[in-house]
Amino acid sequence: MKNNIITIILVFFTSSLFAGGPWPQPKGKGYFKLSEWWTVFDQHYTDNGMIDPNLTTGIYNTTFYGEYGITDRFTAVVNAPLFSRTYMNNLRSRTTDEIIIPGESLNGIGDIDLAVKYGLSNPGSPIPISVTLGVGIPTGNPNGGSQGNLQTGDGEFNQSIQVDAGKSFKLFKKNAYLSSYAGVNNRTNNFSEEFRYGVELGVGLFNQKLWLAGKVNGIKSFKNGATAETVTSTSLFANNTEFTSIALDVNYYVSKRVGVSVSYATAINGAIIAAAPAYSVGVFYDMK
Amino acid sequence: MNTLKSLFFLSIIILSSACIGDDFVNDTIEPQIRFTSLIDTLGFNDMYQFEYIFLNNVGEIEDVAAIYSSSNIDVIPITEDGLASGLEAGESFISISYSTDDLNVRDSILVVVGENTVSSNQSTSGQIITTSSYQLEGDFEFIETQSGVTLSIADNYRASTALPGLYVYLSNNKNSIANALEIGPVEVFSGAHEYQIDNVSFDQFSYIVYFCKPFNVKVGDASL
Repeated sequence: MKNNIITIILVFFTSSLFAGGPWPQPKGKGYFKLSEWWTVFDQHYTDNGMIDPNLTTGIYNTTFYGEYGITDRFTAVVNAPLFSRTYMNNLRSRTTDEIIIPGESLNGIGDIDLAVKYGLSNPGSPIPISVTLGVGIPTGNPNGGSQGNLQTGDGEFNQSIQVDAGKSFKLFKKNAYLSSYAGVNNRTNNFSEEFRYGVELGVGLFNQKLWLAGKVNGIKSFKNGATAETVTSTSLFANNTEFTSIALDVNYYVSKRVGVSVSYATAINGAIIAAAPAYSVGVFYDMK
Repeated sequence: MNTLKSLFFLSIIILSSACIGDDFVNDTIEPQIRFTSLIDTLGFNDMYQFEYIFLNNVGEIEDVAAIYSSSNIDVIPITEDGLASGLEAGESFISISYSTDDLNVRDSILVVVGENTVSSNQSTSGQIITTSSYQLEGDFEFIETQSGVTLSIADNYRASTALPGLYVYLSNNKNSIANALEIGPVEVFSGAHEYQIDNVSFDQFSYIVYFCKPFNVKVGDASL
């Protein structure tokens, strides 16, 4: 089955992958980003919300994200981890310095997510609302390493629906926006379904060359899937991840269309999820 | 394009940190020596071969030149290879010891000379206790059988089903599964159940250890 911590990290940090809020891309316009995302953790939230140690594990994703306006209301979205690397440290005896369990690593493509966003409200509406239908394609490797505990994907085909709503406004005379979303992720392969939610506040500074965004995202499990008790395989089935995370995104336009982005995110509570921050740096191209 | 190049080189730098490093486990224990073959009574004119294991400071079995002794050689003399004889009625403490400049370990058992050699099946009981934030608890009995041992878990046993890849081991080091015997995957998460383990002597191991195998994280243990 699935590696709990690593799978959960992949889920956690893609819980808001259908970004852009309720605003579809105008026809023929798009937003594209190439980024490097990573986290290294040696502790995790357990099923009862406590924090326990684990063998140091690292996950690195080189990801392409793109949105393109097919029409003024339909936007195609792709999130593709083109290169995913995960590793676990050696476990050494402090007494003898001998390796008790050797570390391992896995490289490959990650799970690819595709979606279409449809603007329910008319373009230019004061409170835009959109719906996003997405699918997660298990292109990653869910059973890598000698023990099948290294993954670049969760091995399951999932479908999701998400509704976004938002509003643009002035915040201390600066352009700002507030958006929120709620959705359901239907998972296969004995995973539980999930309720996903989030809210984001962004503000543009320095004539909108610099955008700061604060985010709160979360996942709640329906706990209707299998557990280690009901799955006969003793590989790495891990289910029922839950978390609340906070994130800070900084996006800076180097030119009219090209910019750089930096982000930081961490879970402030959770179950079966890494207790460590994740970072991302990237370059984006905004066809505005 | 320059921005893209910068991201490329930055990604290379970031990925260069994605290397396998080392985590350390505090696995030091006190060395010990103990008998692995035990009898209560040695028959008159019978002979019995005693055996022992020496465990070093990480719980690994090491070959050492230990010394057998008998407190009453008129009743039970014992050779330097551990072969004991029942000569006359009485009792004696049979000991095994090993000493170095900085180590002195010893184990002793009381053996009585009687009509027949008797080796009664041994048993011990205790509690499984979680050493993590995951639920793991329950009483157990560890019983010697003709072919090995039986680990019998009581009805009050409970284990978290959220933890994947939970395995149970017999080990001489409660902080490490190095040199441990893997009994198998945990397939029962509540209630009574048993593990039959063949070709294992009763005194061969000191601990039951529960380990999340995929993440190499200890979940709980019990002393035997």
